[in-house]
Amino acid sequence: MNTKSYFFQSFAIVALAFVAFIGFKQVLPDKIFPESKVDTKNVLVDSMLLESFEKQSVSKKDSADADNQADEDIVYDSNEGIEFPSETFDNYKGYQYLISFYDKLYQLEKHPEAKVRIAYYGDSMTDGDLIVQDVRTNYQERFGGMGVGFVSITSESSASRASIKSLYSKNWKMQSYLNVKKPVSPFGVNGHVFFANDKSNSTWVSYEAGLNKFSTTLDNPTLFYGRSSRTGKVNFIVGKDTISKNLAPGNLVNTLKVTSKSIKGFKAKFVNADSIPIYGFNFDNGSGVHVDNFSQRGNSGMPISMFDASVMQGFNNSLKYDLVILHYGTNVLNYGTKNYSWYGKGMTKVVDKIKASFPGVSILIISTADKSTKYDMVMKTDSAVVPLMKAQKRYALDTQSGFVNLYTLMGGDGSMVKWVDESPARANKDYTHFNQRGAKAIGGLLYEQLNKGYEQYKALREKREADIKKGKTVRKTNTDSVSVIKDSVNE
Amino acid sequence: MITVDSINDWFVQNFGALTLEQVKGWFIYNPEEKLLFNTGLFLGLFLVFYFVYAFLRKTFYLRLTYVILFSLFFYYKSSGIYFLLLLLSSVVDYGLSQIIYKEAIKSRKKIYLVISVILNLGLLGYFKYMNFMIVTYNDMFHGNFELHDVFLPVGISFYTFQSMSYIIEIYREEIKPTKNYIEYLFFVSFFPQLVAGPIVRAKDFLPQIYQKLNLTKADVNNALFLIIGGLIKKTVISNYISINFVDRVFDSPMSYTSFENLMASYGYAIQIYCDFSGYSDMAIGIALLLGFKLPANFRTPYKSVSITDFWRRWHISLSTWLKDFLYISIGGNREGTFAGFLFPSIFFFGLLLWGITNSAESIIPLVIAVGGIAVFCLSFLLSSKLKQTMVTNFNLFTTMLLGGLWHGAGAQFIIWGALHGLALAVHKIFVEFFPSQKDSKSNVLSVIWKFFSIVLTFHFVVFCWIFFRAKDFDTAIQVINNIGQLTFEPDHWQTIVLGYKNVFLLMLFGYVWHFLPEVVTAKMKLVFDKTPLIGKAIVLGFVYWIVYATAVAGSQPFIYFQF
Repeated sequence: MNTKSYFFQSFAIVALAFVAFIGFKQVLPDKIFPESKVDTKNVLVDSMLLESFEKQSVSKKDSADADNQADEDIVYDSNEGIEFPSETFDNYKGYQYLISFYDKLYQLEKHPEAKVRIAYYGDSMTDGDLIVQDVRTNYQERFGGMGVGFVSITSESSASRASIKSLYSKNWKMQSYLNVKKPVSPFGVNGHVFFANDKSNSTWVSYEAGLNKFSTTLDNPTLFYGRSSRTGKVNFIVGKDTISKNLAPGNLVNTLKVTSKSIKGFKAKFVNADSIPIYGFNFDNGSGVHVDNFSQRGNSGMPISMFDASVMQGFNNSLKYDLVILHYGTNVLNYGTKNYSWYGKGMTKVVDKIKASFPGVSILIISTADKSTKYDMVMKTDSAVVPLMKAQKRYALDTQSGFVNLYTLMGGDGSMVKWVDESPARANKDYTHFNQRGAKAIGGLLYEQLNKGYEQYKALREKREADIKKGKTVRKTNTDSVSVIKDSVNE
Repeated sequence: MITVDSINDWFVQNFGALTLEQVKGWFIYNPEEKLLFNTGLFLGLFLVFYFVYAFLRKTFYLRLTYVILFSLFFYYKSSGIYFLLLLLSSVVDYGLSQIIYKEAIKSRKKIYLVISVILNLGLLGYFKYMNFMIVTYNDMFHGNFELHDVFLPVGISFYTFQSMSYIIEIYREEIKPTKNYIEYLFFVSFFPQLVAGPIVRAKDFLPQIYQKLNLTKADVNNALFLIIGGLIKKTVISNYISINFVDRVFDSPMSYTSFENLMASYGYAIQIYCDFSGYSDMAIGIALLLGFKLPANFRTPYKSVSITDFWRRWHISLSTWLKDFLYISIGGNREGTFAGFLFPSIFFFGLLLWGITNSAESIIPLVIAVGGIAVFCLSFLLSSKLKQTMVTNFNLFTTMLLGGLWHGAGAQFIIWGALHGLALAVHKIFVEFFPSQKDSKSNVLSVIWKFFSIVLTFHFVVFCWIFFRAKDFDTAIQVINNIGQLTFEPDHWQTIVLGYKNVFLLMLFGYVWHFLPEVVTAKMKLVFDKTPLIGKAIVLGFVYWIVYATAVAGSQPFIYFQF
């Protein structure tokens, strides 16, 4: 065996390898494991998002954000004598457009038996009731109210939801606004429609109250279902009792109360309910604030524009929404574009549909959160985040909606990296989603911003009252979104 | 014509312009960029270091000092100012070891030993376990102690154990102390194994310091083969599958399907093996390039036919350390000691308490607690040598509990250790009832039995890893529950596998590589050995490129499946 010292040969190998590396770097591609396109069959993708993205790529590139002017002044017209101070586009929050919601909160504060309802639409960020449950708890803590609100029949994320536990049989037929254009029956307020078509096996769903504060029981559980020419039956099993009820699908939206009590859990078995569109159950105690979580993985938000306004009005008759929150963006980031005017256009249609569906409702847009991508070995804020956030702000302003800049709220540039890396972590290693702890923080931040607006609203309102007492006439301006001129409170 | 400018341009083009700021960054501690073996910076620094080292090969103190300085710099790059802690603890340990060696009276020797063990464990305890103890105390007694803002110095668990081995071996008169502090510091601070092992034993390492430094061609071949394998395992397999799949599932198990949870568990098993053994292999390889032979730390552990076998193949330097210095110290298989009974008793008492407090909600925790205690008791009650087996099992269980805790401050590590301890006890009693026939010829039945044993052992180990990986006990239970709901849906599985194609290919590659017969690995080694020098350099350079290209690869966008 050769026992001669081999140090310099050894050094030569390591050094030459370095030279070889430089050579390889020149000739070989930059990355291995290219981000391959995933076969979309069986993968949750928002088909409307794909379509409108493709459409815009075909058409000429719009001039990018020519209208984004940070210092653009936004001056409000008085609404019932209330006028929030003017703000810049950069810091746009649009509290002015939430006045009707704030008014309802104010009424609730005065009359605790009143109700305020919020529909919180979102994507995977709010899956498992993350964020929404924290917004809900914050509101119920201050204004009263119990219950988790409207819950779907089945959901990919039901297992991860702790605020209410639900189980369901596998034979439900479901159509989602995410990937179905023409459903057999119109979508419900949650964007889904379910059918119990199985004739040989029972189709069932069961709910059990979770452990969250203010939702430890199921209050007034009520089934929502749609119109059909056929009738059907449902058996509610509560404890040891079985209550059999008929489904009378005469109206666009029908309700059926399981019980007027507060119960821990129940099971609903559908018998011969073939072709009746089933939407879900509502749980609320009849007063205070209720927040419905309508989360859908993969959603860009745009499918909401497919809602049938008359069906939504049917839902609104029972649920009476005061605020609709649109929290989207995550699924719009990965398309290699920084021009989001197409997305703004799509979402403008969504807002129009919401206004037609829930007349007089306030609308709040929540921007994309920070999201990181690897640039040359370092995780940084994805270059699409800021353009998307700006496009969201723009369409919020244009549609007279309130706006929460979640990106700056959570810390702005590079904040996601911090949320992931800090100990204990507040976001997941995909550098996109918050974990339980982070979601709680986000829920708190959202509530805080909304509440700041409310406190400001109350101060403005008191100032108006004082002005009236002093005998000044209130300047009444007819604004376009709210046409009520007379002061309903002080009559 | 090649001019200085053109060289400079080429350089800028390939590496970017070099700023003073960047150069400073190479030498100043940055908590976000640790100096790992698989970084470009380490390669650059090592090349310079190694060139000079080759010239110093015939010197002794000069060479030791040179390596010590580089080691301290290396540690400073990983832990900042805490390299002073390493120096301080080495001074104290060296002093105490001298005293122990010179002390003639046995009882005094023992006192000094106890002092040194307390000091070392105290240091480790403060930095690693202080907050864990505070949280546990606060939870149990509704205390309100504030957490300390403690920085965990990198590798403290490793070098503490290494210094302790030196002192205990001197106490046991297995080795003689080094001639002076420099030699001792060289042993403790030796950078290849400083931050992540293998835990080198004084009696294996010290003799090598005094030998004439030599490096043969065979050594270099072995070293390069280890480094190449280590780089691929650590940076390609482990890093890629963790960030793109395993971490996501363990972050939020209920958001993923049963199949994804199961695959994440298998994924974590290969990830932790590749991470840990890959880094160990690099350490052994680098040490070998410097002319020092460190013992092997992993021997394809998932090929184990029993859990006992597993612990002879997994993190060998730790398990032998624990055996020699913890297990033997508390009595081994000879005698029962207070410590040997204390920890298992506390553990089982806690387990029972957990079962009782949760019994209102579910009976399962109580069943697990009673079952666990029953199995442990049966493991020695059934034995023909009752007393000896009991003592052995208690001492073994203590070793595994504390060994579990060594891996991290958290209840889940204790559970992980306890599961392994219990399995070791069960395996012992199993072997007593069904002794393996060593001389039996390999027939079909024995092949099937071996296959079954490997599959069973592997799945038990994977199951335990779930506790090891999950951020807390609840998450581990979620993963297990979710896997429990797995149904046979091959078309769904196919979609998931295709969705995470790269991840699953790498996992497959990792497992195939792991289970390759040794003959094949030996053949590969032979071919590598015969490759000319330049060929080896090209292979190594190609591996550098793979490491680089994986490091810059963007993470796979998340996918949700609709079933």
